[in-house]
Amino acid sequence: MKSISTLIILFFTTFLFSQTTLSGKVVDQKGKAVSGANVFIEGSYDGATTNETGDFSFETDAKGNQTLVVSFLIYETSKTQIDVANFHGKTITLKESFNALDAVVITAGTMESGEKARVTVLNSLDIVTTAGSAGNIIAALQTLPGTQSVGEDGRLFVRGGEANETQTFVDGIRVAQPYGATTNNLPTRGRFSPFLFSGIAFSTGGYSAEYGEALSSVLLLNTEDNPDQNKTDISLMTVGFGLGNTQKWEKSSLSVNASYINLAPYQAAIPQNVDWNSPFQSLSGETVYRYNFNSGILKLYAAFDSSKFDINQENINSAEKMRVNLKNDNFYFNTSYKGNFGANWQITTGMSYGYSKNKIGLNLDNVVNDENAAHLKLKLRKNVSNYFKLSFGGDYFSTKFDESFTENLGTAKTNGYNSNIAAAYTEADILFSKKFAAKIGLRASNNDLLDETTISPRLSMAYKVAKNSQFSLAYGDFTQSPNADYIKYAKYHQFESEKASHYILNFQYAKDKQTFRAEAYYKEYSNLVKYDTQEIAYNSIFNNQGSAYAKGLDLFWRDGKSIKNLEYWISYSYIDTERDYKNYPTTATPSFVADHSLSIVTKYFITDWRSQVGFTNSFSSGRPYNNPNETQFMNGKTKAYNSLSFNWAYLISQQKILYFSVSNVLGTQNVFGYDYANSPDSSGFYNRKEITPTADRFFFVGFFWTISKDKKDNQLKNL
Amino acid sequence: MTKLITAFALFVITLLSAQGQVATNETKASKFEQGMGKAFALWGEGKNAEASDVFERIAAVETTNWLPNYYVALVNTTAAFGTKDKEKINILLSKAQNALDVEMIKDQNNAELYVMQAMINTAWIVFDPMTNGQKLSGPTMELYANAEAIAPNNPRVIFSKAEFEIGGAKFWGQDTKPMCAQIDKAIELFATFKPESPFAPKWGLDRALIAQKNCK
Repeated sequence: MKSISTLIILFFTTFLFSQTTLSGKVVDQKGKAVSGANVFIEGSYDGATTNETGDFSFETDAKGNQTLVVSFLIYETSKTQIDVANFHGKTITLKESFNALDAVVITAGTMESGEKARVTVLNSLDIVTTAGSAGNIIAALQTLPGTQSVGEDGRLFVRGGEANETQTFVDGIRVAQPYGATTNNLPTRGRFSPFLFSGIAFSTGGYSAEYGEALSSVLLLNTEDNPDQNKTDISLMTVGFGLGNTQKWEKSSLSVNASYINLAPYQAAIPQNVDWNSPFQSLSGETVYRYNFNSGILKLYAAFDSSKFDINQENINSAEKMRVNLKNDNFYFNTSYKGNFGANWQITTGMSYGYSKNKIGLNLDNVVNDENAAHLKLKLRKNVSNYFKLSFGGDYFSTKFDESFTENLGTAKTNGYNSNIAAAYTEADILFSKKFAAKIGLRASNNDLLDETTISPRLSMAYKVAKNSQFSLAYGDFTQSPNADYIKYAKYHQFESEKASHYILNFQYAKDKQTFRAEAYYKEYSNLVKYDTQEIAYNSIFNNQGSAYAKGLDLFWRDGKSIKNLEYWISYSYIDTERDYKNYPTTATPSFVADHSLSIVTKYFITDWRSQVGFTNSFSSGRPYNNPNETQFMNGKTKAYNSLSFNWAYLISQQKILYFSVSNVLGTQNVFGYDYANSPDSSGFYNRKEITPTADRFFFVGFFWTISKDKKDNQLKNL
Repeated sequence: MTKLITAFALFVITLLSAQGQVATNETKASKFEQGMGKAFALWGEGKNAEASDVFERIAAVETTNWLPNYYVALVNTTAAFGTKDKEKINILLSKAQNALDVEMIKDQNNAELYVMQAMINTAWIVFDPMTNGQKLSGPTMELYANAEAIAPNNPRVIFSKAEFEIGGAKFWGQDTKPMCAQIDKAIELFATFKPESPFAPKWGLDRALIAQKNCK
């Protein structure tokens, strides 16, 4: 009896749980078998993994209509309604996921770094461990193709453009005064320490409609979202000291750093080509506060910087040296919010305010200028689907500039301007397939000072030809209000915006730790400002009839794979450019352009010595200069420039680093150009003076100490 | 005789715990156990992808149980350790990360999840120390600090942390004695450690014993 009942129970169980076999095959859009896909009935454990031929087969006790799920990381998960009883030998096609890691990205013009970047050309660690950069973001970027190294200036010159044609943005908001104040032939450096930035995108042309008021290039710096941990950083350097602290709470964090720089010891130790009355000194600080909301992040960034120096500069036009005494105060504040809302909407908004005041004493004359600049920004982005994203937004730039010039015991002459620019833009990102993407944008801008509205179309696309290789194209029109030197004399809307068009063809190959980029470009300028006097002055007659072109080829190769512990990159740029602007009598290549530039950067990690040793060699061919003794304009050419820099970071212990660097190790006597006398001497000859670096070499020794709970972190990334 | 008693006692305990589960939800418990059992069997046979898939399927149904996703992460991370291919490692660790993220959101008070995240980080560091070491060492130590605060007597927390620290200390030529002492402590803790449920993580003793040998 007992056995019978068992039998019955068994029978019923079998009946109730009778199993059906499902089978099929999983393929991709090209019909290729997908192995390793997870196939299962939704809501049950029943399923299988596809084999090498993409086939699967499994049993289930589910009945009737069910949902069959097929998932695999790099494909979109597919869900199919099926009848369990009737699913044999069917084929399921998986669509490639567009969020996947290998979808094409437009790379024309832009070199990105940071965690979000797909292909990192330069990471934040590189900025500080590149020999010769001395922690200056700008100096590190000058090892990338498309830039000109202009040693007597220090700012970024991109593809034949002047330094002010590049705009800098922090978290998407403009920085009106990105460089420290300086005077003629004394190089400046970027105001920002790489300390707080986690991502950098540097575009040498053809950038998105989101960015305006830049003829040549944009530099996008993004502050870190979340610092790792609480820590204190102490640095002692031959040129000053610094202190930093980061505090982290559950939803928010605060980083503060301050530094005092005094070049006196360095200027005493190394022979100087300039006569210093008072050394360069600066007191600066930065702070970032971040607050994480459930669906967004708010950031407040503030920086101040006060610097001064006093020098006597030789001047070809006078027997006496010219005394320049400069004091600059700068304050920058930026707040931004980035978050998600609604159905796939993203908002980015913020504002910035920058204040810069210069007091410059030129012998007995005095110049005082101050600039107040603000930027308001709103950007909305809607992810309509994985294939289509639409963004639109607006910018409002407001700048007020005042300058007064007081001649020795004379009365003050004042100049200034007040400019407001309102701009709106829209842009669509379209992914036609995983291999083909396009971005189409339009920007409209109205400038009240110039009483002018401009429309700038932008277009870029990318096509992936092989797994690791792709081509990108970009075209765009760009406009920028003429710089302060001109428009401070503006009357009755006399100026127009300067214009440029970029055409870019890019090829990129990236695999593992190797990247190769080649980019050819053509750039056309119109509406450049011209004037008719030797110096820009209130009585100059201005017009907007200048023009220019630039064309060239940029090559970049980075390799961190071939040789163990060695990371290196090579940049080469060729440029052919001529301009007819400023007070040029004719079209000529400007003095900041070298036809050929080559940079080689190496970093080698010696494990046994716990050291990273780096070399950077920068070479550029001679630069043109105008020799008034010759009839042809800009006919002279300097000798080639070369500088080899070396650095060595020694890790004393996990949190203590000793850092040593020297620039221009070989002591090459570089000449940037020549200053010619305004009038000839008695024999009718124009005398000249070489423009050289302020010193042939720069030495730096620093000790960096991080104090944190985990005893792991260090400041290597800040060096 | 003692052996017999021990065997018996063990049997009873297993039975009791099994019953405990059966009592709460008879059919489901057995189905869950069956599924988990099957996944562990596949994993034991070295069929990592299949095992991970089964755990994934269970995770999709058992949304209130952290274990299936935990094992998806564990299977893929362990597999990633031996891999040199960047693409493969990317897939394995992304799978692990995705699964772990699901559970991390639900519960920030589970030391085992922190250890798991630390292991994913370690796999990235081992794969490319130059790039990832600097970036992930700090956060990884922070994860262990969090885990230790939650479960100071969890042998996996103590052992994994010590093992991670030994890696750094060797490079710096620092004394590894304090970490070795921690490994000894972890081995003691393994002896008394009782998993919360039959499938709760209990791994680590064998690796700790190897590490202990290397200490000497």
